[in-house]
Amino acid sequence: MYDVWKNALAEIEQKISPANFSTWFQNTSLLSTENGEIKIGVKNTFYVKQLRARYLDIIKTALENNGLEVNSIDFEVNSSSKPKVRSREVTKADDLIKKRTPSLKNNSTTSENGLNQKYTLETFVVGSNNDLAVGAARSIIDAPGSRYNPFFLYGGPGLGKTHLAQAIGNELLKRDPDLKILYTPISHFYSDFVESIRNGKGKEFNRKFQKLDCLIIDDFQFIVGKEKSQEEFFNIFNDLYQLNKQIIITSDRLPSQIKSVDERLASRLTMGGAFDIQLPKFEDKCAILRAKADQIGAEIEPEAIEYIAENVNTNIRDLEGEFSTILLMSEVRGLTPLELIRNGSVSVSRSSKLRPLAPKQVVEKVAKYYNLPVKEMCGKSRVANIKTARQVAMFILSKELSMSTPKIASEVGVKDHTTVMHGIKKIEQDLKLNFTLRDQIAEIKEKIYG
Amino acid sequence: MEIEVTQEKLSRALNNVSRIAIGRVTLPVLNNVLIRVDKKKVSLTTTNLDMAVIDFLPTSNSKDGTVTVPAKLLADFVSNLPKGETIKISASDTKVTISAGRYSSTINGALADDFPELPELDEKKAATFKINIDDFKAGVSEVIIASSNDLTRPALTGVFFNTYDNTLAIAATDGYRLAEKKLISGVESEIKAIVPSSSLQEVLRSLSDDVEEIEISFTEDLVRFRLGEVEIISKLIDASYPDYLKLIPKENDSKITLNREELSRVTKLAALFARSVGGSIVCETKLPDTFSVKSIANEFGENASDIETKVEKESKTRLNSRFLIDALNALEEKDILFEFSDGVKPIVLRNKKSDKYVHIIMPLNS
Repeated sequence: MYDVWKNALAEIEQKISPANFSTWFQNTSLLSTENGEIKIGVKNTFYVKQLRARYLDIIKTALENNGLEVNSIDFEVNSSSKPKVRSREVTKADDLIKKRTPSLKNNSTTSENGLNQKYTLETFVVGSNNDLAVGAARSIIDAPGSRYNPFFLYGGPGLGKTHLAQAIGNELLKRDPDLKILYTPISHFYSDFVESIRNGKGKEFNRKFQKLDCLIIDDFQFIVGKEKSQEEFFNIFNDLYQLNKQIIITSDRLPSQIKSVDERLASRLTMGGAFDIQLPKFEDKCAILRAKADQIGAEIEPEAIEYIAENVNTNIRDLEGEFSTILLMSEVRGLTPLELIRNGSVSVSRSSKLRPLAPKQVVEKVAKYYNLPVKEMCGKSRVANIKTARQVAMFILSKELSMSTPKIASEVGVKDHTTVMHGIKKIEQDLKLNFTLRDQIAEIKEKIYG
Repeated sequence: MEIEVTQEKLSRALNNVSRIAIGRVTLPVLNNVLIRVDKKKVSLTTTNLDMAVIDFLPTSNSKDGTVTVPAKLLADFVSNLPKGETIKISASDTKVTISAGRYSSTINGALADDFPELPELDEKKAATFKINIDDFKAGVSEVIIASSNDLTRPALTGVFFNTYDNTLAIAATDGYRLAEKKLISGVESEIKAIVPSSSLQEVLRSLSDDVEEIEISFTEDLVRFRLGEVEIISKLIDASYPDYLKLIPKENDSKITLNREELSRVTKLAALFARSVGGSIVCETKLPDTFSVKSIANEFGENASDIETKVEKESKTRLNSRFLIDALNALEEKDILFEFSDGVKPIVLRNKKSDKYVHIIMPLNS
């Protein structure tokens, strides 16, 4: 519905002057279209009269051109068409006392702290892939700066690191609106730093950070090759840490794996514990999609959710992307998401993954990744790197293709299925400690599916 | 279109309506005033799409028609004409000629078609109240100081018109303090509506001495204030207002009577020393008869003043001196009641005799 309105607006925009368009049609929304009775949400009652008097015909034509049946058009003052946060204002009287009791700290404004209010813990779906990190996050919210400090969060792209980090910030602010919190991607950190040096305001830069109660640094891995910034960050980090201020850092890998990160810094960053967010399992993915559907108020069948969850194996961002695409298509075509999937009209890019993978391909891809000829990898060599490659291949065949161990054995050229069982177990064990291996397997999976 | 009117009348009307017709760049016609003569009835209208001001101008001579003219320019031009002159405004198409004696000018206006249609109040569905102008003025100015300008909480940026126990009350709060004034009793209609503070301020500015009564009508999403020849219509804030009556504590430990001016003086003294700590001052009662106000600024020194009053129980609270000064200015009687408790219970201030106004301040964390 949202998109139909967007298209209609695009058409209206061409017909009337830009001044009129931006005045009268900004913040409008399509509320319902049932039985051709169109309801349009507007900002306040002043807009109703004008839209009805001057723009009714234009709106009608635009909607009809976008395939809607229009019998009547009605306007309604709709607070959700305002760009404001609604949920915050239904404060109960008691909360008002508790939350707004001012303390003597300086006020911080939400606009300056870099936090996006849409990231909250309520919208963060907890699953086996992230429950540890969320648990730690909750204890930080209860007592910032004490137990998990610094809080180091790492994992692949699109898995929710930023969401969780910002949610902590937002929850902290909710409990005490006077806290000074700053969220900044590391890239902004060093560009600000460079700027401050250029203006000779290096000290001020430092002081700005020292006043904080909580510092959230995103995408720390991009610190690579910025030695001077790293040093500055190290100083700020130490200052804040000494004052027991909460520090939250996200990165796509452990600090020890980021090239050129100073060892002293690396060890300090993880002394409050490093928490990883992994790829969600099937059930987690379903939960995420269901939450997303509730959030935007979309209707989608459980089977369709399962289909998407099963077929998107990269990350949550892609998962949500696919999800939106299907919802959008179902809206455009007037089919439910499941009908859309059933009649095969989804040409979802990643659903090519559904096509059963041949075990041979997997073996080839693994061999290629490790720069080994397939023959050599599937040979009898006991050289460490060849052996690992072979075991990785076994592991992936077992996890991704659910093949039985004897079949895997014949595929990778070992005699005994117990060797395969051992190999899989070995990799599973190693994965817990060996982060390089984890990255490698993730990369291989991407290559296989990509 | 043609009208003839005295300079004083026109100038006052234009000043009234032109205040809100500035600063809108997206839709230039909103900077204009709509002059309409409909069956010999002349009206000047401006709007900023949150509210509209309409001034009905009594004139002797007029011809029907409509036109819009840049409001600020016309207002400035007319206010500089000599008093006592009769001004004649006539329009053909968009050319507007203004002449008075030997002065004359032509302003490029715009077609009235571009001026937005304004919402109308449905009289049948409206709840209407009539209030003495002085009561209204005092009430709104005493309450509006507590409203918030935090746009993330739209409900608090307005003044809440609320009926309960057959009384019409207005209230405002920014979360740190709250003020409520009971305007009229014996009302039968019911209303719960949030009027934007900015609109109310405009109403206050439009009050003139020759008006005795203000008529306020509410419908679901619109409010109209009628004061003499001026009509102000405004949107209402579409949000739910916090249940503020719960914030007013029923009981407080210390209840003392203080001279308003004396308390105001010692608070201002204390505030001088409280600047570096965000205005935080400490109020304390000591048996048998001491009320003291203290503030400490580490680098400057400290301040303590005592007032003699009857004390029944000892308590201590910390609050923002600026809020206390605001509250004392809003109270009007010689003696006031000051109620507070230890800890986080809100501080309550009232006039000693009249119970129509109540002002609440949240204590600071110590």
